[in-house]
Amino acid sequence: MAIKLDYVVRETGHSLKRNFTLSLASVLTVAVSLALVGSAFVVRAAVQHSTARWTGDVQFIVFMKPDASSAQISAVRNALDPDNNTQIAKVTFFDKKRAYKEFREVFRDDPVLLSTSRQADMPTSFRVKPAIKNAELINQMGQQLKQAPGVYTVEFAYDTVKQIERVSKLISTVILATALFLLAAAGLLILNSIRMAMFARRREIEVMKLVGATNWFIRVPFMFEGLIQGLIGALPAAVAVWFLGTRINNSGSTHSSVAILQGLYVSGGEVWTVIIAMIIIGCLVGVVGSAVAVTRFLDV
Amino acid sequence: MIKLEAVSKIYKGDVTALQDASADIAKGEFVFLVGPSGSGKSTMIRLLNKSETPTYGSIYVAGKDIGELSSWKVPFLRRNIGCVFQDFKLLNSRTVYENVAFALEVIGRPKHVIETQVPAILDLVGLAKKTDNMPHELSGGEQQRVSIARAFVNRPLILLADEPTGNLDPTTSVGIMRLLDRINRTGTTVVMATHDRAIVDTMRRRVIELDRGRIIRDQARGVYE
Repeated sequence: MAIKLDYVVRETGHSLKRNFTLSLASVLTVAVSLALVGSAFVVRAAVQHSTARWTGDVQFIVFMKPDASSAQISAVRNALDPDNNTQIAKVTFFDKKRAYKEFREVFRDDPVLLSTSRQADMPTSFRVKPAIKNAELINQMGQQLKQAPGVYTVEFAYDTVKQIERVSKLISTVILATALFLLAAAGLLILNSIRMAMFARRREIEVMKLVGATNWFIRVPFMFEGLIQGLIGALPAAVAVWFLGTRINNSGSTHSSVAILQGLYVSGGEVWTVIIAMIIIGCLVGVVGSAVAVTRFLDV
Repeated sequence: MIKLEAVSKIYKGDVTALQDASADIAKGEFVFLVGPSGSGKSTMIRLLNKSETPTYGSIYVAGKDIGELSSWKVPFLRRNIGCVFQDFKLLNSRTVYENVAFALEVIGRPKHVIETQVPAILDLVGLAKKTDNMPHELSGGEQQRVSIARAFVNRPLILLADEPTGNLDPTTSVGIMRLLDRINRTGTTVVMATHDRAIVDTMRRRVIELDRGRIIRDQARGVYE
């Protein structure tokens, strides 16, 4: 038996109006918690971009001269190979193509720079993850490599970069944990607002059961109401996250003197993925909250 | 149409509402359930539409053991059983028409069916002129007619009535009984729990008398006592 859409929409509308304050409380809680979830993910993505070169415990990068010969490159490669050198845990080679791709991403807001550089100008590089922890020894190893033929320079991971990465991880984890609690609260609020809605309509529910309405027919309008509350809550949160995304990207393009901010950006795709995930989470919280309410308090 | 086989209902705390009750009610019969308050009349009514389940024994409706019925099928059983109560159970924010239409709407009947059935049934119960009134604008007898219309609009096989005249004066009650009699003549089986001696004695239909949960009398064309 089909449940008519206009019936469901009408009943849901009535119910939301009747229960306005409690519905509003649920919607606001969903909005705040989802905004936090979304922001945490967007900020984390942005920080990851800006520190991308230093992920996976890369401690220094050996940049080759753009015109380094292949023999020179192989010599450095051999020196850094974990099989030959026990002080090295892992080494990744970035060829011109990969370097150019990263370059375009980091400077994507600088069309002048982009248009004047070609792939051939890119230096190849080795990203080195040492097996040793001693900063002194790592530094020595890097300095030695600086002298090797064909090497342009060796860049060390700044402590600040590492710190920013650590702090941003910590903050986003704390925000996510808080958001999780808020989401649970939102679910419980939705559960209660649905329970109130059912209480307000208990006579109708009684009659529906008597005349033989199916359980789903009775339940669906209430579950739809929960879904709508979750969805409405997700919308302002989505807008907030979208604004946060644009703010982050603007901060990166102003050639900030703080080096770390230059690489701080989020792609449109990332923001939209987060927003879609938020909307889905919002709807889920609403449906789960109301589903629990109808199964717990609507025994048929 | 309805068959009870050694049915007992024991509520929490060892309250026996119905004990070892057996009865066989044929299609088209009109049966009065009589007995003092607490004798098990309402429990029997509630067992018949599976609002309650028996502790022991089985109940057959239209040849089917309703104890075996899975819970998702219960609504379909209830579509064949109309129910009328002492307190009418009308929806006060809806008009007479809407109250009756509601019963068809929530079981997914199409609009054109609702638009033909509802006026027809309101005509049958004598409320054709009150379709747009709200329940509180009606007398008790009229409200009970609305509730009968709602119970009968889907043409159920069985009509259960739990003290339908309990809140009404004798004259109004006679009108309600005429209506139930008329519905019975269309072939609908009617089971009515009542306290009303005058009604039972006038109608002279089958009487099942209950006392403290036991059936103590089952008499064709019976009287109250």
